[in-house]
Amino acid sequence: MQSLILRTATRILVSMILVFSVYLLLRGHNATGGGFAAALVAGTGFSLYTMVEGSAAVRRGIRIDPRGLIAAGMAVALVSGLIGLFAGEPFLTGMWCTLSLFGGKEVALGTPLFFDMGVFAIVLGMILTLILSLEEN
Amino acid sequence: MERVARASSLLPLSIFLGAVFLVPHTAAGEAYRWVYPWIPGLGVNLSFLLDGLSVLFALIISGVGFFVTLYAVDYLHGHRHTGRFFLFLHLFMLSMLGLVSADNVLALFVFWELTTIFSYLLIGFEHESAESRKSARQALLVTGAGGLALLVGFLLLGIAAGTYEISRMVPMAASLQEHPFYGAILAMLLLGAFTKSAQFPFHFWLPNAMAAPTPVSAFLHSATMVKAGIYLLARFHPVLSGSAAWTATLILVGAATAVMGAFTALGQSDLKKILAYTTVSALGIMTMFLGGQLAPSLMAAMTFLLVHAIYKSALFLVAGIIDYQTGTRQLEKLSGLARSMPVTALGAFAACFSMAGFPLFFGFVGKEIMYKGALAETMMPNLTASAAVLANGLMTAVAGIFLIGPFLTGPARHGEPGAEACGSMCSGPLILGGIGIFFGIVPEFVGSYLVSPAVASFHAHMERVKLELFHGINTPLVLSAVTLSLGAILYLSRKRVNRAVCRSYQAIGLDGSRVYDRVIEGVAAVGRLQNRLLQNGSLHRYFAVVVASFVLLTGYSYLSGVQALPDIGAPGLATRQWLLLLVLLAAVGAVVVTRSVLLAICALGVVGAGIAMIFLAHGAPDLALTQLLVETLTVIIVSVILLRLPGLGGAGRKSRARKSFDAALALSVGALMTTLALAMLSSPLDRSVTAFYEQSSYLAAHGRNIVNVILVDFRSLDTLGEIIVVATAGLAGFALIHRRRGRS
Amino acid sequence: MSPVLVLPIVLPFAVAAATLWFRDDPRRQNRMAILGSLLHLAACSLLFIRVVRGGMQTMQVGGWEAPFGITLAADHLSVVMIMVTAVLGLAVTIYSRAEIDEELLRSGYHPLLYILLGGVCGAFLTGDLFNLYVWFEVMLMASFGLLVLGREKRQFDGGVKYVMINLFATLLFIAGVGLLYGMTGTLNLADLHLAVQEVDNQALLAAVAAIFMTAFGIKAGLFPLFFWLPASYHTPPAAVSAILAGLLTKVGVYALIRLFSLVFIFDVAYTHGLLLVAGVITMFTGVLGAAANNEFRRILSVHIISQVGYMVLGLALFTPLALAGAVFYLLHNMIVKANLFLISGLSARISGSFELKKLGGLYRDHRYVALLFFISAFSLAGFPPLSGFWAKLLLVRAGLETGAYWAAAAAVVVGLLTTYSMTKIWGEAFWKPSPERSESSEGKDPTGKPDMWMLLPISGLAGLTLIIGLVPGPFLEVAERAAHELTHPQIYVNAVLGGK
Repeated sequence: MQSLILRTATRILVSMILVFSVYLLLRGHNATGGGFAAALVAGTGFSLYTMVEGSAAVRRGIRIDPRGLIAAGMAVALVSGLIGLFAGEPFLTGMWCTLSLFGGKEVALGTPLFFDMGVFAIVLGMILTLILSLEEN
Repeated sequence: MERVARASSLLPLSIFLGAVFLVPHTAAGEAYRWVYPWIPGLGVNLSFLLDGLSVLFALIISGVGFFVTLYAVDYLHGHRHTGRFFLFLHLFMLSMLGLVSADNVLALFVFWELTTIFSYLLIGFEHESAESRKSARQALLVTGAGGLALLVGFLLLGIAAGTYEISRMVPMAASLQEHPFYGAILAMLLLGAFTKSAQFPFHFWLPNAMAAPTPVSAFLHSATMVKAGIYLLARFHPVLSGSAAWTATLILVGAATAVMGAFTALGQSDLKKILAYTTVSALGIMTMFLGGQLAPSLMAAMTFLLVHAIYKSALFLVAGIIDYQTGTRQLEKLSGLARSMPVTALGAFAACFSMAGFPLFFGFVGKEIMYKGALAETMMPNLTASAAVLANGLMTAVAGIFLIGPFLTGPARHGEPGAEACGSMCSGPLILGGIGIFFGIVPEFVGSYLVSPAVASFHAHMERVKLELFHGINTPLVLSAVTLSLGAILYLSRKRVNRAVCRSYQAIGLDGSRVYDRVIEGVAAVGRLQNRLLQNGSLHRYFAVVVASFVLLTGYSYLSGVQALPDIGAPGLATRQWLLLLVLLAAVGAVVVTRSVLLAICALGVVGAGIAMIFLAHGAPDLALTQLLVETLTVIIVSVILLRLPGLGGAGRKSRARKSFDAALALSVGALMTTLALAMLSSPLDRSVTAFYEQSSYLAAHGRNIVNVILVDFRSLDTLGEIIVVATAGLAGFALIHRRRGRS
Repeated sequence: MSPVLVLPIVLPFAVAAATLWFRDDPRRQNRMAILGSLLHLAACSLLFIRVVRGGMQTMQVGGWEAPFGITLAADHLSVVMIMVTAVLGLAVTIYSRAEIDEELLRSGYHPLLYILLGGVCGAFLTGDLFNLYVWFEVMLMASFGLLVLGREKRQFDGGVKYVMINLFATLLFIAGVGLLYGMTGTLNLADLHLAVQEVDNQALLAAVAAIFMTAFGIKAGLFPLFFWLPASYHTPPAAVSAILAGLLTKVGVYALIRLFSLVFIFDVAYTHGLLLVAGVITMFTGVLGAAANNEFRRILSVHIISQVGYMVLGLALFTPLALAGAVFYLLHNMIVKANLFLISGLSARISGSFELKKLGGLYRDHRYVALLFFISAFSLAGFPPLSGFWAKLLLVRAGLETGAYWAAAAAVVVGLLTTYSMTKIWGEAFWKPSPERSESSEGKDPTGKPDMWMLLPISGLAGLTLIIGLVPGPFLEVAERAAHELTHPQIYVNAVLGGK
């Protein structure tokens, strides 16, 4: 799998896939997408990259150990649930604030989005854990 | 350690003195009752009742306990587990005291089982010998089985009486005996008593229990624990007796045990086995007399209880001394001991004369009252009397065997002549033997202070029955004379009798111990058979059984109640939907048929994609997207695994029958689930929850994508759980495949 | 709304995340895990006290009213179960310090263990059927991970059997959830209690009940669905065996109790009659299977099945006393069973084997270990005054009172057969002289020494058994209250739906 065309194409493809993944994550609350799907897309991208460039390249690229990513994702998801608890509401209650952007647009930001990022991190972490350990074994 | 052990004899001694202090009060008919609520919700109280019966037992338990403790200190000198021994011994004693004073049947049961446990630990005291282990377990299982029957009996009794307190059951005796549970209660209680008190045919564990150190045999297996069943029969005499079933069972079982035990004792050569079988016989006699209804019979049972406890514990201690000093308990190796151990011999003489029932010894008094009691009864008096005469005659002969061979014959023929044991060991049999003579001389005193109060506490119509040395010339005296001469004859012809007994046992072929062994082996064999049939290690079989159970259970539950199967009708599908369905079916078929794993995975991917299409067609793009992505990743990961592990290709060949069975099972699962789904779809869905989501998704949860809002808000706890599943899958996968440090 | 309600679930996950983050620092992991399990126990105790003092506690997760969101609901049954879970979690965590090597710690032992604990608590606290399914998945994944951790071949074989059969159970579970949702339009258990009464299609309802019975029956290890259990439980480290044996099948039993007292009570004679038959056969199968085994942990494993039969018997008789008996039995058995597995590990540590043939001499040289085993084993066999006796007593009495004499008789006979197996272990592993000690080395000190980190949790659990046995009153009262709630589903419904 050392063909130059494949490697170049993969780099371009993977960057596009990752950008698409972030897009899916951010728009998920209002349109098709969400953390789970976004992570799956990113995972597909990384799988492709692993097959072509090997696991070491991927590890260099993501810097964090995939199992650390899982741990971080769990922490993020739990914390976003506990915020409601500290505010005297039930666990996982959505806490929202409105952010005014330039140009007068308003965006609702809330713990559910935060939670979705936890989902993203865990799912991606799981895929990377499997792919990389398989590759290295 | 030894000093502590010796000091621990103060415990039984102080209990004994306390019980002695109570004697005048209980003799006057007083009874003491304490109640500590234990589990009020269940009606279980630690309630204790001290009356004449309890005090008699308490005296025996603590008195014998005292001598046995002192004796055991020297007997076990230098043993590595003396600490455990005395701990178990004293705990046993306390449990036994609890047993004979408990007024609540469940509390009584707790103590009952505790005595079983400590008996187990003490029989297995020499735990490195396989025989000890086997005997301990046998005793535990046999008495444990009886104990469980007893528990059922007590619970039934509690249901019938509405109380667990024995003292409150006594006034209800008449109504309890008419209760439909009466038969069951009686049967269960008797099972408990008979196993514990080694009645035929459950007696076999007791001789085997002689594997225990001799002090234990003297204490538990002759004087106290085996009498727990006797205690139970006496305690429940006012509640349950009076029916023909009670009387007949007790008399028949008791007589059989008494005669069988004594005959068997005659043929033994091990001193302890001889004593064990005569104990069985004695327990039979007590049971037999508790079958009676009148004061003399019951007096006989209680008197003999005391008689037996005193002489038998003394004899066991003697046997222990002989064993300790000469290194053997075999009759044929022992002789001339009267000369080498005179003090021990004195104790042995006193005890044996009591056992044989010579006048002036307490045993004589016991025998007289037995014959009087038997003849006074209305039910089976002749059977009782003849069984008693026969058993007593045999015991007289056994007393002769025990005394004459080892003590009176000439100097030692084999092995160690033996020397006198130290004081604390000898004093036990000597004092117990002395008590036997003392009681034999003043039977009136014993009768009015110990035996009569005991009987009075379970027998309301107590006419005055005196224990006397000399009743005048009457039938009991004649029977006593008959007994002694019978004993002499049996002693002289003991070899012939023994051969006859052996032959008759072989002819009958009934041996509880063998039955027990067979049951034990049988249980293991049934278990092995079951494991071979069910737990054979084949995942295929496990799956077949599980799936078939599911199909049968669910199918039956549905079909037995259904009026009409759901209508499949003509599904109004468009052409492209039909096409999709065809593709799906083809892919499923390919998965089933193909031998190539890679092809199967790809076909599975097609199935997944097809399902995603169905989601899409029903307006669920999020589901479709996720489904597609998951399928893609699955195919990638599984392919990677296959590339690295080439050995996984192709499943093994299966037989045609197995294939068709699997196919039928799979098809029936599919058919069942389809039917249920169709039945479910035939009624409209309650959409109130869905409607709520549609309404509040944007307004309350700031999201237009309802699926996402459900995932991260409405049902975010599910998502939390699911991402943890995902995380765990990653960890489990890592655990399975990662490369270990230090291994290539 | 009580914020404490969520802590028994969240805390273990937090511990899992933290120990996963420090995956390469085993010592810190151990410290964090012990601290975490103490906090978990504290949280569970807090919730326990709240429920005992103030009755059922509920929380509408996310702030969405039932039945629209997911409700967490803690009644007496739930808090008893989470209390035992927390206690076992603590015991096993401490024990793991001695048993689990660094390699396993680096592979993610603690995260998996704590995810399992969180999932178990989630299952005990949720008031939502689908959410229950989710927690079952969490437990399945985590337990599979624990089973195969260490990657020995036999672990893998056991793990595969375990996961395959349990996946089928999961499949049935989700199919049942789907069908039930289609019939009623709700997933909230309290709401289901009401909605099921409106269902016209009784045959379909019976079928769905049968699906759930099969699914949970597999999880609980009922006859004839138990195969995965003896195939797998003896393979992992003893700490893992202990936590799986203590918790997993019991979650299945819990789910059966919950659903067949709250949702599926439309035809008690049929459903609970089936459970009665299954329970009694299970009692016998398990105890006979154990009798044929000669390995410490295998005997214990197969016995689990038998004891599940007792619990299901209590549910099947369906009287307040019988249910109290089932709850008491759960409480007792989870502690004792887990402890026996821990002891098996300690014995193996001392003697180097789980095979009874190769064991021996423990009574002679390790009296404290022997005492601890004796207490636990005779409690399991139902000897008084240990915890198992009261559990058995309640069930036998309930059987006699309801006229199910043969069931009561079975409970008694199986108790005897349990004694059979326990004395086999006692005789072989404890009483028998050690096969390795030759005559010449008689009197020498044994090489194996019990590890304090192992003895500590074992002593604690044995002490608990003893306390439950000697002072059963308070435990019984809680069990009776649980039974009262189970026989009066209105209490649960009112607490969750606010008396609507």
